[in-house]
Amino acid sequence: MIDPTQIRRLAEPREPLTLERMRRDIAAMLHEDPSEIGEGDSLLDLGLDSMRAMNLVLGWSEGGLDLEFSEFAEDPTLAGWWAIVARQQARLG
Amino acid sequence: MSGSSDSRGWPLTEAQSGLWYAQQLDPANPLFNTGQYIELVGALDPDAFRSALSTAVEEAEALSLRMIDAADGPRQFLDAAQRPSLDVIDVSGAEDPLAAAEADIARDMATPIDPTRDPLAAERLFRLGPERFIWQQRIHHLAIDGYGMILLTQRVADLYNARRRGTAPGPALPGLDVVLAEDAAYRVADKRAADAAYWREAFADQPEVASLAAGAPVSAFGFHRRAVEVDAATVARLHALAKATSIPWPDLLTALCAAYVQRHTGTAEVVLGVPHMGRLGSKAARVPAMLMNVLPVRVAPEPGATLADFLGTVARGLVKARRHGRYRSEQLRRDLKLIGRQRRLHGPLVNVLPFDETPHFEGLDARLQVLSAGPVDEITFTFRAHGDAGLRLEIDANPDLYSADEALAHARRLNAFLAAALAAERLDEVSTATPEEAQRHLGEMNATAHAVADVTLTALIETTMRHCPTAPAIRFDGAEMSYGELDCRSAALASRLAAAGAGPGGIVAVALPRSLELIVALVAVLRAGAAYLPLDLGHPDERLARILGSARPVVALALEADAGRFAPHVPVLAPEAWPSEPGGVVPPAAKPCDAAYVIYTSGSTGEPKGVVIEHRAIVNRLEWMREHYRIGPDERIVQKTPATFDVSVWEFFLPLIAGAVLVVAPPEAHRDPVALARLFRAEKVTTAHFVPSMLAAFLAEPAAQGLALRYVFCSGEELPAELRDRFHRTLAAELHNLYGPTEAAVDVSFWPAGPQDRARPVPIGFPVWNTRLYVLDEAMRPQPPGVPGHLFLAGVQLARGYLGRPDLTAERFLPDPFVPGERMYRSGDLAYYRTDGAVIFLGRSDHQIKIRGLRVELGEIETAVMQSGLVRQCAVIASRDAAGAQRIVAYVVGVTEAGALREKLASRLPDYMVPSAIVTLDALPVTANGKLDRAALPAPEFSGVGGRAPQTPSERLVARLFREVLRLEAEPAAEDDFFALGGDSLQAVSMLLRLREAVGRDPGLGALFAAPSVASLAAALDDQAAPAEFGLDPVIRLADGDPALPPLFAIHPAGGLAWCYGGLARTLAPRRAVYGLQAPALSPEEPLPPSLAALAADYARRIRTVRPNGPYHLVGWSVGGILAQAVAVELRQEGAEVGVVALLDAYPSDCWRAEAEPAPDAALKALLAIAGHDPDRLPGLALSRASVIAFLRASDSPLGTLSNAALDGVVRVVTGNNRLVRGHHHARYDGTLTFFRAALDHEGRDLTPAKWAPYAAGIEVIDIASLHAHLTGRAATAAIAPVLGEALAANEQSKENPCVTTVSRDVSPSSPERAEA
Repeated sequence: MIDPTQIRRLAEPREPLTLERMRRDIAAMLHEDPSEIGEGDSLLDLGLDSMRAMNLVLGWSEGGLDLEFSEFAEDPTLAGWWAIVARQQARLG
Repeated sequence: MSGSSDSRGWPLTEAQSGLWYAQQLDPANPLFNTGQYIELVGALDPDAFRSALSTAVEEAEALSLRMIDAADGPRQFLDAAQRPSLDVIDVSGAEDPLAAAEADIARDMATPIDPTRDPLAAERLFRLGPERFIWQQRIHHLAIDGYGMILLTQRVADLYNARRRGTAPGPALPGLDVVLAEDAAYRVADKRAADAAYWREAFADQPEVASLAAGAPVSAFGFHRRAVEVDAATVARLHALAKATSIPWPDLLTALCAAYVQRHTGTAEVVLGVPHMGRLGSKAARVPAMLMNVLPVRVAPEPGATLADFLGTVARGLVKARRHGRYRSEQLRRDLKLIGRQRRLHGPLVNVLPFDETPHFEGLDARLQVLSAGPVDEITFTFRAHGDAGLRLEIDANPDLYSADEALAHARRLNAFLAAALAAERLDEVSTATPEEAQRHLGEMNATAHAVADVTLTALIETTMRHCPTAPAIRFDGAEMSYGELDCRSAALASRLAAAGAGPGGIVAVALPRSLELIVALVAVLRAGAAYLPLDLGHPDERLARILGSARPVVALALEADAGRFAPHVPVLAPEAWPSEPGGVVPPAAKPCDAAYVIYTSGSTGEPKGVVIEHRAIVNRLEWMREHYRIGPDERIVQKTPATFDVSVWEFFLPLIAGAVLVVAPPEAHRDPVALARLFRAEKVTTAHFVPSMLAAFLAEPAAQGLALRYVFCSGEELPAELRDRFHRTLAAELHNLYGPTEAAVDVSFWPAGPQDRARPVPIGFPVWNTRLYVLDEAMRPQPPGVPGHLFLAGVQLARGYLGRPDLTAERFLPDPFVPGERMYRSGDLAYYRTDGAVIFLGRSDHQIKIRGLRVELGEIETAVMQSGLVRQCAVIASRDAAGAQRIVAYVVGVTEAGALREKLASRLPDYMVPSAIVTLDALPVTANGKLDRAALPAPEFSGVGGRAPQTPSERLVARLFREVLRLEAEPAAEDDFFALGGDSLQAVSMLLRLREAVGRDPGLGALFAAPSVASLAAALDDQAAPAEFGLDPVIRLADGDPALPPLFAIHPAGGLAWCYGGLARTLAPRRAVYGLQAPALSPEEPLPPSLAALAADYARRIRTVRPNGPYHLVGWSVGGILAQAVAVELRQEGAEVGVVALLDAYPSDCWRAEAEPAPDAALKALLAIAGHDPDRLPGLALSRASVIAFLRASDSPLGTLSNAALDGVVRVVTGNNRLVRGHHHARYDGTLTFFRAALDHEGRDLTPAKWAPYAAGIEVIDIASLHAHLTGRAATAAIAPVLGEALAANEQSKENPCVTTVSRDVSPSSPERAEA
C-alpha cells in the first residue's frame, strides 16, 4: 500500500522547466520515445487528448509558472507550448 | 466582428442548436441560465473593476448576442444594446448583507430568459460592506459554457490586475467569428463524417441505458446540490495511482464513477455522459462561447477484473471518445433515432474540473461559488479541485427524480466507494454500501426481537377452547360450532389418529372440502402431535401420487367418495368414521420444534417440494399478527383460501388462538365475488384475505361497493398502488400488504396500505417479530438503500427445510453470515429498501412466476411438457398479455397436435399451471452462445395485432405527410412511429409546418414527441379540432406530480377555461398534480348555474370526486378567486380540511355590484384578454364576434383552435359569470387567504386585498410586479410559483408538525406587505 505522505515529499523538489523536460513529459504521457516528439508535430495527431494536455499543463504549473491551459489549447505543438513557457519564464525574470 | 454575416445574422452553431430546441420545449425553465458568483474580500478598486469588466464583456462578443426565431430556423446577431453593463447593488444596510445578496441572486437565477427578447447576460456587483463584495455573473447557456465562464472570469481578473500593477494585460479574447468559422468548416469537413461513423458504429447495438433513478430525465426548474470533501489520503492515493498507471487522475475518477453507477443499475454496462470542452487544438480555444459537448461513454466492468485493467480499459475508451469529441451528442441522438424525452443516450454526467478556477485578484481574497452550469436532466457528479490538493465532490440532482437526502447519500456513498476502490486490488472487493449504511441495514432495520412464549400452536388453541367453551368457534353454511364442541370433537379424532399411528414427527394428509369437519380435522391432527399435509383434490392424480409418495402420511382425512384416489398410497379416514367422544389413546403432545404442517409448492426440477414448518415458527407469525393488529374475540375472520396455499394457515388458526369466530366460506366461494360479498354481509365478517388479482375482481363487483370491514390483508402477489387506491374508493376497511414465502411461515413483512398511503410501488414493508430481511449483492454484502439486491430472510420463522430433500434445503437455506449459528433463506426475489427501511419487491431472479398468487416454477411445466413424449424440444416462458396479466406460453418443437399436448398437460399439472398458449416452432431460436434467445420468440396470439391501415381522414392525412416528409416508399400503418420511420427533430418541425399548411393548425412539437405514431398524432390533431370533448371538460388535469402531495385545484377565471394555469401547474416545485376546474356551461347543453354559491357547491362536489379526502388546495384568478373562496367555505361546511386558498388578484363581489352593467362588447373583450391580448391596445380591431374570432384564429392563442360553438360557449360563460358575481353574497371562510396582488394595476381604484377582511380569518398579501391581465403570464408565473409552492409545502408541513408555525417569507419580487384582517 502506498503511504500518501510519502508522495508529497517526493514531488516537491522540481527541476526548472526546459524544452527537453517538456518533450520527455509529453512522450511519457503518450507512451512514446522522446525522440518521436518533433517540435512542430501536432500533439493531437500523436494521440494527446484534452485531459492529458491539461494534466501536463497542471504539472508544469507546479514550479510556480502562471500557465493557462487555454493558451496551450490554441496550438498544441511542442514548439508552440515552449514559446508560451519561455515567455512566462522571461516574465518572471 | 468580421463581415462574414449578412444583415440576417448567422445561423446557430451546432452546439447552440441543441440547447435552442431544448429550451423551445421548456421555455419557462430558468436553468438555461448558467451562473456563478465570486466573493471578493479586501480593498476592491471600483474603477479598475468596472473598467476591467467593461473591456472583458466587450471582448466576449457572445454576451451581446440576440436570437431571432426565423422561418427557416433560429438565427443570431450581435446587438450592442444587449451587452451587459455592471449593475452595482448596495446591500450593506441589510441586517445580513450576504444573505440579502444571495437571496437577490437566487431570484435572478430563477428568472427564465427569452433569448429572442431578453439580454443573455447580466453582470452584478453587490456591495456587502466597505471591503466585501459579491460579483455575480448570469449568462444564458446559448452564449457560454463552463470553460467559457472561466475564460471570461480570468480575463476580468487579468485586466484588473494589469491596471492595478500598471502593466500590459495579456492578449484580448478572440472574437466570435473564430467560433462561427470553425463551426461552419466542421459541418462540411471529412473529419465530421469520420467522427459520425465512429459514434454510429460505437452505438450501433443501441445499448439499454440505465441510471440511478427511474423516470424521465427532463430537467426541473431547479436542482438539489449536496457536496462532500474528498479526504486528503484518498486524493493522495488518486494522484499516486495516476502516476503509477500514467492515466490522468480525472479519468480515474470518471472510471470509478462508472463502476459506482453500475453497482446501482445492476446492468452489465452503463453509459456515462462526459462533458467535453471541445477546445484543444482549436482556434476557438480562448473564446468565451458555447462549445461544450457531452460524450456518451460506455463502460462494462468485467467481474473479477483487476482495478488496473478496469481503469486502463475505461481510460482508453475516453481517449478514443475525445478524438471524436467534436461530433455533437444531439446529432448522435438523431442518428440513433433516440428522439423523445424518455430515450436516453447516457446516464449520469461525470464532470471533473482539474483546475482550481478561482481567479486571482491582486490584493483581494476570492471565493468562487458556481450556481448553475445548465439544466440538470438527471444527476451530475462534479469534482472540483481547489486550493493545494483539495477535491470537492458535488452532486447536482433533478428534484423530480431524487430527494435532497438521496443526493447527499450519493455524495457520501460515492466518496466512500472511491476511497475503498482506490485501495483495492479488484473492484469486486468493494462494497457498495458505506459501513454506516450496512450497519443500519443489518442492525437497526432488523431490530425485531420480541419475546414470544415457546409453546406449540396446539397449546394455544387448547387454551382458547378451555377458556371460552361456550363461545362460537366456527360458522359454516348456517351451522355453528362452539369452542367446547370443537374441543370435544377434535380430541376424539386426535385419539383415533394416535391409534392409527399419528404422532410427533408423523404426517396426516387432509383433503376435505371447506366444512366444519375440515377445521375439526386440522385441530385433531395438531392435537395428535402430527403435522398436517393439505391436499387439493382438483390436482391430477399423477401429482397427488407423487406428493403422497414423498410425504408418506400415516392416514388421510378425506371424504369417503374420494377414498379411491388415495387407495394404493394411504388409508382414508372419512368423517362418518370419526369418533364423537374422546377415549382410548391419549396422544403425546408435540414440542415447539416439531412440525406443524407440510405444504407442497411447485419445484423447478419438476418435482413439487414439501415445506416443513415447525410450531415455533408459525406461533411467532400468529402471535405477531394477533398482537400487531389487536385481533380479539370480537373478530369474525373469513376462511376462503384453499388449505394448500399457506395463507390459509392464519385464516384457520388466528381466530382459534384469539377466541374469535372463524367464518368458513362455502367450497368454491373464493372464486365468486358475488357469493363472497353476500357472505361478508350475512356473517358480518370483519377480516378477510385477498390475493390482489382476486381483490381487483372483487372490487369490480357492484355487490362489493360500500362494504365495511375492519381489516383486509393482501399477499401472494404484488399489490398495485392503483388497486390500493381503488380499494379505498370502494370499501371502508384497513388494507395491509403482507409478504412471505411458504418457506418462512406465511409472511415475514408487513406494510399498512391505508387510505393516506401514497407509496408507489406499494412496499412489502418491514420485518415481523424476530425476523430479518436482508437485501444483499452477489458477494452477500448488504446493499445501500435504493439499490436492488437479492432478498434473504432470516429468523425464527424459517422452515425446517424441504421434506426428504436435504440437497434442495442446503441450496436455499444458507448460514447467516451476519448472525453466527443461524440460517437465512434465499427467497429468489429481487428487492431494494427505501431510506425508511421499507422493502420494495422488484420481481424474481429466476423463472419462477405467480399465477393468481400461486407459485409456478416454469421448470416444472417444462418437465411436464417433455415428459408428455409428444415434443422434441420446448421452452416455457411467462408473458404479459395486452391487459398486463401474466400468461404462460409454451414454445414447442416437433408437435403436430397442440390439443393432445394440452390434454396431457392438464392431466399432470394443476389448472393454473397449464400454458394458456402453445406455439409450435420448427426450431427454438438460440443466441450466439447457444442459449435460448427469448427476444426472438414470436409473440403468442392472445389477440390479433398487426399493421392497421390509416382509417380516419386525419390518419390518412398524417400518413400521407409522414410519407412525403420522410420520403417513404409506401404509406405507413396507423401504428407506425414517426421517429422509428427515420424522422429526426428537424423533420419533425417540417412535418408540423406541412400539417399547418394542410389544415391550418398543428398540435405542437411536444405533441409529436409524446404521440409519434400516425394514429396518435391524428388523434391529437382531432382533439384540437374538437376540444369540446377534450380541453373543455369540467375537470382537466393540468400537470402530474408527486402522488404523495395533495393536488392543487385551479378554478377558471371569467371565461370558464382553466388553461391559463398550465404554466403555473408546470412551474410548481416540487411538482404536484394540478387540476383545472372549468365552467360546465361551456357545453351548450349545460344550463347556466342559478347562483355562484350553487356553482361553488358543484365544484366542491367535483373536487371531492377527484379526491375524497383533504387537504384541498385552491387557487383562482379573478372570478376564479371569488369562486375559490366560496368553494373553500363550502368544503369547510362539509367538514373537509382546506389547505391553501390562493387568490390571484381577485376582489369580492361587493367591489363589482355597483359597477355599471357591462357594455355589449365586454364579453368579446374578455375573450381577447383570455387569449393574452390587451383589448385596449388593439384599437384597430372591430369588436364584432366575427372579427374577434378571426383575430384569435390568426394569433397563436390556443383559443384560436376552438370551434365556433366552443367560443360561443366562452362568451356565454363570461356573460353569465358577470351576473353571478354581482348576485353573490360572501360567507366567511374561517382560514387564511393567500393573496397575490397585481401590484402594477388598479391605479386610482379602490381595489385592495383588505376588501376580503369580513370574509376570511386572515389575509396574507404578496405583491407581484404585474398587471392583472398578465398574472398567469410567464413572468408573473415565475414569481408566483415559488411563493405558492412554499406556501403549499408549509401548509402540509404544519399539518404534520402542528407545533411548527408558518414563518412569513420575503420572497416576492417587489416589496412584500402583510395585511392582517
